[in-house]
Amino acid sequence: MKKLLLILFLPLLFVGVCAMVAPADQGEEANAKIKAIYIYNFTKYIEWPDDYKQGNFVVGVIGNSAALLGELNKMASTKTVGAQKFEIKSISSIGDVAQCHIVYILNESSAQLPDVIGKTKGKSALIVTDKDGLATKGSAINFVIVENKQKIELNKSNIEKYKLKVAAQLVEMAVAVK
Amino acid sequence: MLHIKRTFILGLLFLIALVSNAQQTEVQAAYTFLQQGDLDKSKAAIDAAVLHIETAEDAQAWYVRGFVYKEIYKQKEKTNKQSPMRLEALNSFKKSLSLDKSDENVQENIKNIKYLATTLFNDAKDCLDDVDYKIAIVDFDKFIEYYALVDSSPVNIQQRKIEFNLAIASVYTKIFESDKQTKLDFLSLAKSTYSKVLDVEPNNISANYNMGILYYNQAVNLINQSDYDLDIVALSDIQDNSIKLFKESLPFMEKAYSLDPKRRETLLGLSGIYFSLNEFEKSNSFKLKLEEIEKQK
Repeated sequence: MKKLLLILFLPLLFVGVCAMVAPADQGEEANAKIKAIYIYNFTKYIEWPDDYKQGNFVVGVIGNSAALLGELNKMASTKTVGAQKFEIKSISSIGDVAQCHIVYILNESSAQLPDVIGKTKGKSALIVTDKDGLATKGSAINFVIVENKQKIELNKSNIEKYKLKVAAQLVEMAVAVK
Repeated sequence: MLHIKRTFILGLLFLIALVSNAQQTEVQAAYTFLQQGDLDKSKAAIDAAVLHIETAEDAQAWYVRGFVYKEIYKQKEKTNKQSPMRLEALNSFKKSLSLDKSDENVQENIKNIKYLATTLFNDAKDCLDDVDYKIAIVDFDKFIEYYALVDSSPVNIQQRKIEFNLAIASVYTKIFESDKQTKLDFLSLAKSTYSKVLDVEPNNISANYNMGILYYNQAVNLINQSDYDLDIVALSDIQDNSIKLFKESLPFMEKAYSLDPKRRETLLGLSGIYFSLNEFEKSNSFKLKLEEIEKQK
């Protein structure tokens, strides 16, 4: 009878089976992916001068974001700009921006915008920033948040002064610069 | 066999009650064959008895039938998670229970139903994986059907259902995650199963948290599955859809947080959701809360 009573005791339910789903700490990666898609799109809607169509297509990143660098490197491993291969650089010395086709200044490094403008004078670099108001302070394309959504502001004159040609569709898709 | 012999003390009581006619003799014969370990003959005799008009409504006959089928289950189908013999046994004990409400009969039938229902429960638990989950559902439903006969407390039954639904929802999630393209139905199943839990227990932390994570991961997947050459217009649509999902995730995760504000996973989840909604201050506030909690450990 003892044995029977032990068997009758219902076991500890489904505790082992219904363990919590691990939280996917992927918000940063998803955010970075959206930025990488935008950056790849810039290469389709913006034309660099002929002398920039040789060698690698260099994207320089100023600031620390492992997620963004990871996404850009993934992009670089599968995509090209015409015949040019992508080269993703984490910029530690501001002098390196002179070799870049695109310079992306992350939010926390926004204070470096004036230096970047100085170092890219006379070059054909697309300056991309990530802080409200920078489109009026020399940035060509500035990432902005509109109703939780990642969008871009585009300052056409800041693009053209670097001898870059921007397609009308990209201008239309960007939000107006405040 | 020792086990069977012990139960024959009860059998004696039945035999005393037997009236000497042909069909009651079949019941007696079933007992004798059972005692001799001849389960096939025992089964044939008792099946004949319960089919006959004289003993078809006899509680003792059905009890014996239940006992015979239980022994067959134990000896021949113990590893069969869908054992038909076990269900026959349960059905027989249930029938006996319905025919005779005397204390002794009720106790004996309940004891056997509890035992067999517990084996159903255990098998349901063992089958909670991506291969056998359908068996788990069948076994669990049967468990509930018979468990309700022996434990009529709605609270206990509801609690079992909640626990099972949480477990089966996590199996559905696992199946979905094994192939997000072709197993999309399992995502819906997981959501509807968590909803069932929340309908009866809105403050269930696991269901709230897991529901939040399902929407969150769905939104993240939507973005991560996109190709880099996705057009900006299409990217805008993807963002709209993912934002909708992140916002659907939020109330569940907030609820889980309100129920347990110090739970690491929930704080990470909320930080992730707000980050994805580009609400960085809120995201950081949850990150900081988590850091504070981890410092205190």
